[in-house]
Parts: sequence; C-alpha cells; structure tokens
Amino acid sequence: MRAYLLRRLVHALVVVWGVVTFVFFLVRLTGDPAAFLVDPTATQAEIEHTRRLLGLDRSLAVQYADFLAAIARGDFGQSMQTRRPALGLVLEHLWPATAVLAAAALLISTLGAIPLGVLSATHRGGWLDHGSRLASLFLQSMPAFWLGIMLILLFAVELGGLLPAYGSGSLRHLILPAVTLAAAPLAQNVRLVRSGMLEVLGEDYVRTARAKGLAERGVVYRHALRNAALPVLTVTGLSLGFMLSGAIIIETVFSWPGLGRLIVQAVPGRDFPVIQAGVFVFAVIFVALNLVVDLLYTALDPRVRLT
Amino acid sequence: MSRSIVVILLGALAVVGGMPRAAVPADPPRAVDGQAIDPDAELIVALADDTNNMDPRIGMGSIRSNYIRQVFESLVDVDAAGKPQPGLALSWRAVNENLWEFALRPNVRFHDGEPFNADTVLFNFDRMFRKNLDKWGIKDLPAATSYDKLYPTVARWEKVNDHTVRVHTSEPVAMLWDALGREPLVPKAYTIKHGIDVLNERPIGTGPWRMVEWKRKDSMRFERWDGYWGPAPLVKRMRFQTIPEGAARIAALRAGQVSLIEAVPPIDAAALGREPMFKVVSAAQKLGCRLYVNGRPRDKYDSGGKDGAFADGRLRLALNHAINRDAIIKKIFGGYALANASPVATVMYGYAAQEPYAFDPARAKALLAEAGWRDSNGDGVVDKGGEALTLQLHFPAKHYGQAFDEMTAAVAEMLKDVGVGVTVKTLDFGTLLQVLSKGTLPPNGGFTACRTSNSVDAEDQVRDWASLTLVNWTPFPPELLGLYQASRREVDPAKRLRLLADLQKQIRDWAPVVPLYQEIKLYAHSARVLRFTPLPELHMDFRGVALRK
Repeated sequence: MRAYLLRRLVHALVVVWGVVTFVFFLVRLTGDPAAFLVDPTATQAEIEHTRRLLGLDRSLAVQYADFLAAIARGDFGQSMQTRRPALGLVLEHLWPATAVLAAAALLISTLGAIPLGVLSATHRGGWLDHGSRLASLFLQSMPAFWLGIMLILLFAVELGGLLPAYGSGSLRHLILPAVTLAAAPLAQNVRLVRSGMLEVLGEDYVRTARAKGLAERGVVYRHALRNAALPVLTVTGLSLGFMLSGAIIIETVFSWPGLGRLIVQAVPGRDFPVIQAGVFVFAVIFVALNLVVDLLYTALDPRVRLT
Repeated sequence: MSRSIVVILLGALAVVGGMPRAAVPADPPRAVDGQAIDPDAELIVALADDTNNMDPRIGMGSIRSNYIRQVFESLVDVDAAGKPQPGLALSWRAVNENLWEFALRPNVRFHDGEPFNADTVLFNFDRMFRKNLDKWGIKDLPAATSYDKLYPTVARWEKVNDHTVRVHTSEPVAMLWDALGREPLVPKAYTIKHGIDVLNERPIGTGPWRMVEWKRKDSMRFERWDGYWGPAPLVKRMRFQTIPEGAARIAALRAGQVSLIEAVPPIDAAALGREPMFKVVSAAQKLGCRLYVNGRPRDKYDSGGKDGAFADGRLRLALNHAINRDAIIKKIFGGYALANASPVATVMYGYAAQEPYAFDPARAKALLAEAGWRDSNGDGVVDKGGEALTLQLHFPAKHYGQAFDEMTAAVAEMLKDVGVGVTVKTLDFGTLLQVLSKGTLPPNGGFTACRTSNSVDAEDQVRDWASLTLVNWTPFPPELLGLYQASRREVDPAKRLRLLADLQKQIRDWAPVVPLYQEIKLYAHSARVLRFTPLPELHMDFRGVALRK
C-alpha cells in the first residue's frame, strides 16, 4: 500500500507539473495582457512600458524558469488585474465559497439519489419508478441557468423572500444554489443507482440472502446497494470535479463568490498568474479526488486490489 | 489688455467657485421632499460586477469607478449634467499659457484623519507621472493612464502654500484641469507608510463613504464618513452587492432584497417602469460604440505593403450612410441609445452637435461609385480593378453584451446591402487587442468596439486619431492634426470651444470611423429610494440619496 501511495504521489507530481507547464505556454500564446491594462488610446510605447513592468519583455525561457522557481515556493505571482497574490486569491475563492457549495451539492446529489434510485428499482414499473424517471429526465434536461432563475422567482419573490435571491454566508443562502447545482448530477445518480440495483437484484447472492430469511431492507441496502454503488462512486468523483470547477453559471445567477467566476474572468483578461494558480489548484484537486476514489473502491469492493 | 491678462481672465471662466464647507457637518435631515427618511438605513445597490482594484492608479474602468469614487475624490467633481464642479479643488485657472493653478479646499481630512493639502496633491502628481517613486519608497505599477507619456509637456509641479498648487507646462495644455483634475487622490502618509498593496486593499480617501469591508466578487460595505467636508450622506450604511446576471438583479429588486440596480436590460425597463413600486431612470453615457476600419498608410502597420483599404474618406462616408441607426436603436436597444455623429459624447465638455449621417443607401452606393467601386460582375459586391471591396469585420463576441452582438450582425447586413462584402470574424476581446496592439489588422480589416472616458473634456475623445494607438486606424491628416493641436494648446475657453466645434465638424465630414450608438444606461430602484439621479459618468453618486421610512 505504501509503495502504491508513493508511486501515485510521484505520478501526481508529474501530472501537476505537466498541467502547469502546458498552461504556462498556452496562455502566452493567447495574447498580451498588457493591452488589457492600458487605455485603448495607449501608444505602443505605453504598452511596452506595461509589459516591462509585468516582466513580459523577458524571454519565454527566463519567464518559465522564474515561474518554476517561484511556484516551488508557492508563489504564483500577483494577479495582473487586482494586484493581489494569485494563489491567495484562488484559495480564498475556493474556501469557503466553492468548497461549501460543491460539498452541499454533492451531498444532495448523492444522498438524495440513493433512496430515490433504490425505490425506483424496487418498484420497477410502478408509479414511483415512472415518477422518478420522469423527474430525472426533467432535471437533466433543464438548463441550470433557467432552473436557478425560476427558483429565485419562486422562493425569493413569489414566496415573499422565503430564501435570499443572492449572496452567500449562511445556510439560507446556500439552499438555492446547492439545489440548482445538484439537480443534474442528482438525476444522473438516480438513474445510475436504479440501473445498478436492477442488475444486482437479480444476482445469485441477493437471492441467497433472501433465501436465508434476511429482511428485504437488509438485502437491498446491505447486499445489493454496496455493489450497485460502485459506478455512482466513479461518477461522483467526476461530479465533484465539475462542481468545483464548472459552477460558473450557478455562481453568476446566485452571485456566489466562487472560483469558477474568478477563473472565467481571468481567462479573457489574460490574467496569467490567476489562470496558472487556478489550474494548479484544480489539477491538485482532480489528482487527489482520483486517488480518493481509487482508495474507496478497495473499501467498497474487497476484490479490488491496488498494486 | 495684455495677452496674459486675457488668458487669466478667460481661463477663469473655467473656474467654478465655491465656499469652503465645514469639516463637521450639521445633523443630517430627517425628511426629504416632505417624506420622513431613515438615516440609519442601509442602501443596497446591486452592480453587475465587483471592482478589481481600489487604488485608482491601477485602473478606472466603468465598473471600478463606481467603487473607487465613493471612497476617493478628485480635484474636479462633476454635477448631474456632467459639468465640472469644485471637488478637492475650490477653483482652477490658467495663470498664463504654461502655468495652471489649483486652489485646494481647506479643512478636508482623509478617513484616518490625515489632512488633505498641497503635499497630498504633489505626491499624487508624482505617482501619476512616475516621478520620485524611489524617494517615496513606493513601487511603480502597470497603470491604465500613463500621464508621463500622455502629457509629456507637463514639466513640473510646485506647492505655493498649503492650499495652492501650481503646474508648469512646456507648452500650453488647455485641458490640464481635466487631465489632472479627474484622477482620484490618495493619502500621502498612509500610502508611504503602508505601501500601495495595502492602499489597494484597505483604501482611505476623502470621499463621503468609508470602505469597511470588501468581500471579493461578493460585496463591498461602506459607512458614512462623518468627517466629510460636504453634506453628509443621508443613509448611514451602503452596500454594493455583486449580482452579475441581469434577471437575478431584477428578481432581487422585486424581492425587496436590494434597493437599486444598475444596468437594467432595456427589454425589462418598460415593464419595471410601469409598476408603481419601482422607478426606472436613465442617463446618457460617454460610451460610444463604433465600427473602426483600416485606413492606415502602409508604413503604419504590419501591412504586407498595402495601404488600408479604407484610406479613401469617400468609402468611410459610404459606410456611414449605409447604417440605419434609428432602426438599430429602436429594435435592438428599445430606444435606450443615442445616434451621435460627433466624435465626442453628448455629455462631455466641449461637445458640439453634428449633422447626423443620414441612412441613405443610394448615397452610399453613389459615394462608392465616385471612389471607383462598382458592381461590375453583378454579384452584389462592388469591385475595382478586378478586386472586390470586402471588409473583414473582427467582432469581439460576448464582451460588450448581447445588444452589441446583435447590432454587429445587423451592421454587417446593412453594409452588404450597399455592396460591401463583409466577412465576420468572431474572436474574443483579448485576441482583438492582440491584433490591434501588434498592428496585424488586415488591409481590409475592421472591428466593432466601444470607447468610454474618465475625463470631462472633449479632448480625451478627439485625441483618438492624433497618435497611433489601439483604436486609431485612420490617423489624422496634417490639417486635422494641426487643428487638434491648436485646440489642445488654446487656453482661452471660448476660443477653444470654437476650435473644438470646428474640429468635431471636420472629423464628422472626414468620417474616420462609423459611429454606431452612444450608450444610455438604465437604473431601477424601489420607490423607497429618494433623489437618486444617475450621472453621465462612469460612477453613481449617492451623496444626496435617501431611503424613505
């Protein structure tokens, strides 16, 4: 196990280095941030002066060497737009705003999907199953933008301000964005749990468990669900990545001060340090999530061996 | 009367005087317009975005100005009509052609108690012109406006006494009061002691509002600055809340969770305005959106040996007559935009109304024919010498908003109707800037873009064609450059206004660009909000705004 973890750690370092290196060169191919910072009536001399102040007049190799040396110290430089340390800016948007929103949405989409998917499978063909499948289809089809606005209109406007229309900082603020963000993954998970359960409910070991006289609840939740949950675990790992990095629409609709909007605004603004720090953080999160999912596989399915 | 005396007297016409006000204001009123107000209330204003910075030297775009100007003030203020007013300077005047004097407002203090005086102003001029930075121990930083490069004729500045500052120039700079006077001023001692990163993070100004909390991308909270030199704000607290999505801003207003919203989509303005609980107000802005075309000579860009295809003024005039601005404004902007043929926004000092470019496709075609462009092969595109007239229209999608995007598509179709082949090249704004800064716009290239201003004076907008910049693809011919330089040098206000009017007329006829529309910005607020008047400026002024009980 230790050798496995060590190997994965080295692997992770290589992946993260590869990602940040790729992004370093890619962003520099996309344009000159100096032109963003000056007035549109700036002359070439003014733009050149700005490039010098930003250190962009140095050769690419020198910039890259400095970049690697700096990130080894955890220094991603200052945001060109805000003049604040880029990594600090990214981390303060990641925690608590993005992390809390993603965790809440993950809880809703996973814990909500298990009973709904199980009920749908155990009542196959019944009204519960049809209702659950229809609701899943509906939730997966609705654009998050539209769903968010509808929820705001319902809970903040029509119901007399039952929930806040915008902002962050309390549980009440969290409900609408988390539900909106969770909607599509929840629907997906319900369908996954349902199909997984349908597959395992017909297996011999389930029949054996029933034959042994176990209560149906125990058969379903202790024996069948454990095996049916493996695909959900894989998808949940990917969903969490999406929730951490791709919640831009939710952040925009609910004015949630998260990481998605920060990065999305940094890209067209060519704010190199923020883009690099953001991609670095995402890379670390994704690598860590993959590792956690792999480790969880062994816990859920003893047949899986990590080598 | 000697010329210098004339200059002094006429220069004084630009001066708008005012009496010093008490540093400690009287108790704020309890009623406004006969309605009881709540002076302890919090005014919540929803804006489309957060500011990137609070240090004004870093940049003062339309979003940023809204935040920065609540905390910081400049020497020259503006009123609701956009007219210059005394700010931290009580008056300003041209002592002679090469010397300007600012009389500073006494009894003004920054939020931490630091006095505002001549030393403050000199320190700020040092920062603006990148002088003595080592002496003050502060670092240089990339700034939107490089005063040292923009105004190289500003030679030096000096303190006459604690409340008088003089600026010497090597040649006359008529709009110096505007160029220097609109920059928000930061405290000297605080900036030197804590550095500009702290200034940017925890700004200290002389303005009516003290910033008390800044949650990035979320909100900024202000409190009334009780030591303000002017009338105290009529609410105790104010919050700028970031709500990027227009529909969500309107929902928050309807839910009563914000008091005022900016950037109301035109499509929603009429419906909101009909409801008695809300009021929709608007103000013309300095933002002008244009179609820029390549008319640069071959030695002024990466040309491959070709002059810009639109160097011939008749072509540019033809493009202007091909555009149906009334239809664009009515159909796309719901009437909330202006057609303005002047290169200067209608709300700027020195603006002179110009004859509109009539929508006249026949005239457009005639002008093209006059320049030698005819549809010889019947394919619907005019040509000359076997070469078709095409415009490679670079279009920065999703940068200026949906209406702008729709407008660009409409403009392309209108140009095609008069025989100009148009290829729309969609790209992101950063890539467009890259093309413009590298000078790689193709000879038949053009782009749609918008331009605003932090200045009050027209000079900031007629300057566009004076030197090669990102937006200048049709440099002034010598006669217009001469007229521009004369208007820049003329310190006699009346003469200068005449020169500016003449320059605007000549620019209009020369048609360096295709002006498309001037922005009208829409705001909506609850009926509880009293006395909110939008400015033709980049920021909102909440000094007289109250909340009904």
